Amino acid sequence: MIEIEHLTKRYGTTTVVDDVSFEVDEGSLTVVVGTSGAGKSTLLRMINRLVEPSAGRVLIDGEDTRTIPEEELRHRIGYVIQGYGLFPHRNVAANIATVPRLLGWDRKKIAQRVDELLDLFQLDPAEFAQKFPHELSGGQQQRVGVARALAARPSLLLMDEPFGALDAVIRAKAQDDLLAIQRRLGTTIVLVTHDMNEAFHLGDHIAVMDQARLLQHATPAELLMHPADDFVERLVGTAERPFRLISLATVQDALEAGEAAGEPVAASDNLHDALARLIWTGREALPVADAKGAIVGRISVGGILQHGRPHP
Amino acid sequence: MSSATSRTSTLGVAPPPRPTLSFDHLGCVIAIIIGIALFAAPFATYRATRIASGEARFLIEALPIAMGTVIVVVSLGVAVVAVLVRDPFGRLGSAVIGLAVLLPALGLSAGFLTPADNTFARVSPSLGFWLLTLSFSLLAIDALARLRLGPYGRLVALAVGVSALALLLFSGIWDSLSILKEYHTRADTFWREARQHLLLAFGSMAAACIIGIPLGIAAYRLKTLRTALLQGLGIVQTIPSIALFGLLMAPLGAIAASVPLAAALGIKGIGAAPAFIALFLYALFPIVANTIAGLSQVPAAAVDAARGMGMSARQQLVEIEMPLAFPVILAGIRIVLVQNLGLATVAALIGGGGFGTFVFQGIGQTAIDLVLLGAIPTVALSFASSIFLDALVDLAKGAHA
Repeated sequence: MIEIEHLTKRYGTTTVVDDVSFEVDEGSLTVVVGTSGAGKSTLLRMINRLVEPSAGRVLIDGEDTRTIPEEELRHRIGYVIQGYGLFPHRNVAANIATVPRLLGWDRKKIAQRVDELLDLFQLDPAEFAQKFPHELSGGQQQRVGVARALAARPSLLLMDEPFGALDAVIRAKAQDDLLAIQRRLGTTIVLVTHDMNEAFHLGDHIAVMDQARLLQHATPAELLMHPADDFVERLVGTAERPFRLISLATVQDALEAGEAAGEPVAASDNLHDALARLIWTGREALPVADAKGAIVGRISVGGILQHGRPHP
Repeated sequence: MSSATSRTSTLGVAPPPRPTLSFDHLGCVIAIIIGIALFAAPFATYRATRIASGEARFLIEALPIAMGTVIVVVSLGVAVVAVLVRDPFGRLGSAVIGLAVLLPALGLSAGFLTPADNTFARVSPSLGFWLLTLSFSLLAIDALARLRLGPYGRLVALAVGVSALALLLFSGIWDSLSILKEYHTRADTFWREARQHLLLAFGSMAAACIIGIPLGIAAYRLKTLRTALLQGLGIVQTIPSIALFGLLMAPLGAIAASVPLAAALGIKGIGAAPAFIALFLYALFPIVANTIAGLSQVPAAAVDAARGMGMSARQQLVEIEMPLAFPVILAGIRIVLVQNLGLATVAALIGGGGFGTFVFQGIGQTAIDLVLLGAIPTVALSFASSIFLDALVDLAKGAHA
């Protein structure tokens, strides 16, 4: 667990991060979101002490980060930045091997780990290990950047706009891949973005920052239904709110008893996708199938719409 | 020429329709030079003694008639190829054939013009020979440029050129030429001065690297030091070399007079020490400036990532910043080496030795051959090291494009 306590950063008389506190649960993904200049990146960089806090502290599993030597701390925390910062003079394998090599792992172990990570990120080791960063596409560079950060199995991963340089189609795929990998490895992630859609898509918790201050730290649903103030409400987008809400719920949540005609939707789909199917097929209701394909009930337009408004 | 064409077309001006039989612009210039060299300029100069005034010998007089004819025919052939042939291999081939005929022919001409058993007479190349060499070399260099050789290709081309020159020199075919006669009468001195020249040029370059690269790294980190250092070294660059020697004379003389150890080490107001120091000072600016420039162009994200992954400041420098700055620093070293090889000539003025010794002796004696004995190796060395280091810079860059 990461505990951020009263973190503050001042440069001269300017305060860029002002008394921010929140906790990040083990294995969860917290997105820090806000407009540019809100202090999100500085907050992130104070966690691995690339920026020294003016006040406050960070505890990782109860251990104050100030008691750990800087470099040792960073060896234990994965770090991914916008543009990835791959080393242009080193091939993919050497890039990924950076932290294990700094930690003095033996060669065989490093080579095994590199192959393992390339497989995990769907990059064929035979094809990609010897390539240089400039020979990769943007999406491949991004995957190598994340693989490099995960090389020494850090329990915490910090990501600063990791998808910022990707086009929309590749970005959506990269986000889904990140979620899948995070679920598989159980890595705790703190991710900084200015993109609200990304925040809702990825975050177990969302921390909204503006002008150096933390305005709200909550689950996506809470953020939509009980925004802390006008700024948060504007940021989550009043017009987008119902659609974001139904994206957060699954078909299972709105399951009704009864039957319906048509192609069944999966119980694990989100309601946004299910509604899209209903609109497109022109039906009021569709049957719902569980993971094994058995029909377990039905889903209706009315049922979905109920999930798009706050329940008191 | 191709860049001029593409510039015009990028400006949106339509290029003129290409005629079916097109003339190569550079080729036309080369052909004109060849024409002048063959028919309007003397091929060799004959002098009764090494300081007597020269008599011009045109191609027909300078060589046996058969050989003269061969030269004319081959040269005209090269001119036609230069104007009409576009294939770079054809152009390179014809230039090489031209040089392969012309260069040995000069030696033949020297033997032909020197009366038997006359050791005083001197034959040296004249305008016509130089123009032919220039035009053939120009054609060869242009063809090599059009071939866009990679770094390895250029190194091979350099090796071939150096080997061909060595063959000409050591086969004895040029031994009757005035410059080689000058060389043979002072072979020992020549190699001693050559060593001295290389010692001055390479030694001061090495010293400048040892001092300049750490200085550059420090200046990159500290902005205040950077401005002061670059301005100071910039001022040194503006001092003419002879003036700098003069400026160094007084303090070094004073040191030699007051510190016996310094004098024992050879530090004096004149000689190699001030020359070495002056070359070192000139060399510092390009090394420091390129170290700073090289470090500045290292991607900030790579350094941030390195730091974020827990590299120490030393690891960041050694593993990330220096390797990425290296091609730019190497380009600085290239500038320094070419500059030093030339500047070291002036060292002879204050008794520093080197090839300049022959140049200034030659000027004193009005013996132009002696001047060339100093000047030609200097130019050849600069040219060769420039090509060599250019190729190295490309190789260093090539590792990560």
